[in-house]
Amino acid sequence: MYEGVNMASSQRGAIFAAKSGVEKGILEFMKQALSQGCFDAVLIPARVPAGDSFAYFLIRNGALLEGASPLPPIMPVQGAKAISSITKRGKGNKRIAAVLRPCEARATIELAKLGQADLENVVLVTVDCPGALPLSKYFESAEKGDELFGDASQDWNSEPMRPVCKVCDRFSTTGAEDLHIATLGARGEGILIIPRSPKGESILNKLGTPPVEDISSWEDQVNKLTGERKKARNKFHSALRTDIEGTDGLLEVFSTCINCHNCMRVCPICYCRQCHFDSDKMKFTFEDYLTRAGARGELRLPADMLLFHVGRMLHMSLSCVSCGMCEDACPMNIPVAQIFSLVGDRNQEAFDYVSGRSIDEALPLTTFEEEEFQEVEQSYAGTSARQED
Amino acid sequence: MSKALRINGGAEEGLKELLKFLLESGKVKGALTLTKTGANGAVAYSLVASPAQLDHALPLFPLMPANTGQLLSLLTLKEGATEPVAVVLRPCELRAFVELVKRNQGSLENVLTISSTCGGVYPLEMALNGSIEEKLPKYWEAVKQGEMIPDIRPACKACEYFAPYTADITISLLGNKGIDKETVMLLNTEKGESFVQGISGQFTEEELDSETMERIRSRREAEKQKLFDEIEMRNLGIDELTKAFSRCIGCHNCSKACPICYCHVCFFDTEASEHEPLHYETELEKTGNVQVLPDAIFYQLVRLFHVSASCVGCGLCADVCPANIPLWAISLRVGETVQKAFGYLPGRDVEEGLPVTTFKPEEFAGIR
Repeated sequence: MYEGVNMASSQRGAIFAAKSGVEKGILEFMKQALSQGCFDAVLIPARVPAGDSFAYFLIRNGALLEGASPLPPIMPVQGAKAISSITKRGKGNKRIAAVLRPCEARATIELAKLGQADLENVVLVTVDCPGALPLSKYFESAEKGDELFGDASQDWNSEPMRPVCKVCDRFSTTGAEDLHIATLGARGEGILIIPRSPKGESILNKLGTPPVEDISSWEDQVNKLTGERKKARNKFHSALRTDIEGTDGLLEVFSTCINCHNCMRVCPICYCRQCHFDSDKMKFTFEDYLTRAGARGELRLPADMLLFHVGRMLHMSLSCVSCGMCEDACPMNIPVAQIFSLVGDRNQEAFDYVSGRSIDEALPLTTFEEEEFQEVEQSYAGTSARQED
Repeated sequence: MSKALRINGGAEEGLKELLKFLLESGKVKGALTLTKTGANGAVAYSLVASPAQLDHALPLFPLMPANTGQLLSLLTLKEGATEPVAVVLRPCELRAFVELVKRNQGSLENVLTISSTCGGVYPLEMALNGSIEEKLPKYWEAVKQGEMIPDIRPACKACEYFAPYTADITISLLGNKGIDKETVMLLNTEKGESFVQGISGQFTEEELDSETMERIRSRREAEKQKLFDEIEMRNLGIDELTKAFSRCIGCHNCSKACPICYCHVCFFDTEASEHEPLHYETELEKTGNVQVLPDAIFYQLVRLFHVSASCVGCGLCADVCPANIPLWAISLRVGETVQKAFGYLPGRDVEEGLPVTTFKPEEFAGIR
């Protein structure tokens, strides 16, 4: 049983009539909810004026909403960053409904736990996600990209999608959103909307969307695909692990890194205003650099490339949602997101934690227990005693 | 005519020979150069302290994983170079460093600058899987003939400043038919001359062939105009800029890669650029919709405003842009306009004052 499809709310789902396709249906639903005062504005991706990309827009006008794209072919900005940008300094006076991909919603939950977003006046709406195209592919030709994504998402063909999207096993309801739009296997006549919180339920009640009891057809499809993806993900991770294991493996896979730190800047979880690795702490004197070069014969510049990646792993892997932004933004095509998805999965598993699963699930670093992980602990006294021998 | 030195062996070998001599003789304590770092052929900059490590140095490899001017600033920012160091860098990288020195972001003291006439570099995305290695024979043949090299970055195809201005030593590459057999090094400064004393080679007097240089320059200029036309860069008004920047994802990687953008923290990454929810609510009331993240175009315009007088056209901004915006062309187009207006050329002379430091009450009366 897929852990996500575990209905807490009394209503199983509701069918919203949508005659002209899923995308139009979602927009029509949001428009109705907006006009009924369920919220004051919608945060949703829409095409930029030049037409060759997408961005998040906060929209309060129903007519403008019609031009939005609830599931764009690419992820130019992680939606969690957009919500954080609006609510980082506190909740606003307006109630906002945000339409997000599941990984964006999960990152939003993590940011809320980290004090970087305030969700009190936010309604999180997720959509079943067939993946996203690599940014580089889309920017070669937006027109071809639209067509490619249109066809692939119709059939849930993950082939042209980003590498981490192909092995994403959390493409559906996150468990922490307010409303989930269940489009996997949707059949023409309407879209299935599932309330995942009292907030979500009250919206459906207000709109009078006709309830449905039996959502098993969608559940079955989600469970089936989740199973397939989990298998593919494990296989993929095992192969990757042999390539990147150990310091040598990591040094090799990151060997073309130019230290631009763009992976960190587009990462929704890396929220520090200034990264330690960009700070004055990491600027040294000429003598320091020369001493280090002398010790090993040479010193790669900029220095501390791998330290940055390992430091970042340590800081964000417990909250990593495998959204793939880092890899999309890497000028050197390093498989950053693939590496971080492996490390993230393993670390989260060790703490029995799933990033973005629940707002009430405490961050592992806040729940330290003295007795845990004894199997990986080394006796400090023992270590120093051995050294003295 | 300037003093010159000829060393037997192809250009890259000759240059490695020079670096080896400098390190072995103790004339320098370190050499900053590109080296091969990974088993898969990755190339990165390295501060080499031991002559043995020069075996895998690739000082003329046609790739720019960072602007070396920025790296030199990193090395010399805090106290300057306390020991002599040699650095191999491209003309645009040297010009960038000179601009940084003018801004107190580095020092030329104890730094021996070795540059060359430059054929250009390949895009960063070609750095993997040996695709550059495959192209090297053709690259060097075109350099030898002083011809345009296919597949190099557009910023390089359009570059008219391929000969260094302030280098202590200039390696003659472009249009030099003998680069396979002999390395020709022009010793432009007393510093350059004194560092090579004692090396085995032939000391002569020569200069770059001005006819060849002009032929290459005019070819590059024509290519620049062609590229500007292709991406509609001729009339660069606010509408064109807004259109070009509209797919900016706000990652600020252009500023991070730019050698001239030296601020420790960019204004657009500070708390001052974060907004209260009220900001969005007010905008929303006014217009009905508001972009989140905001300020992408504002950021780009401010960046142009800050760097254009010193933009050396190195093209790294475009190379690292995940949205594939032709930033090199925008920076170059705006840069040359601003520079022309002030009669200023970035990196030409370390004594030449930055335009913003030489304000005259009378100037630009026409646009007031």
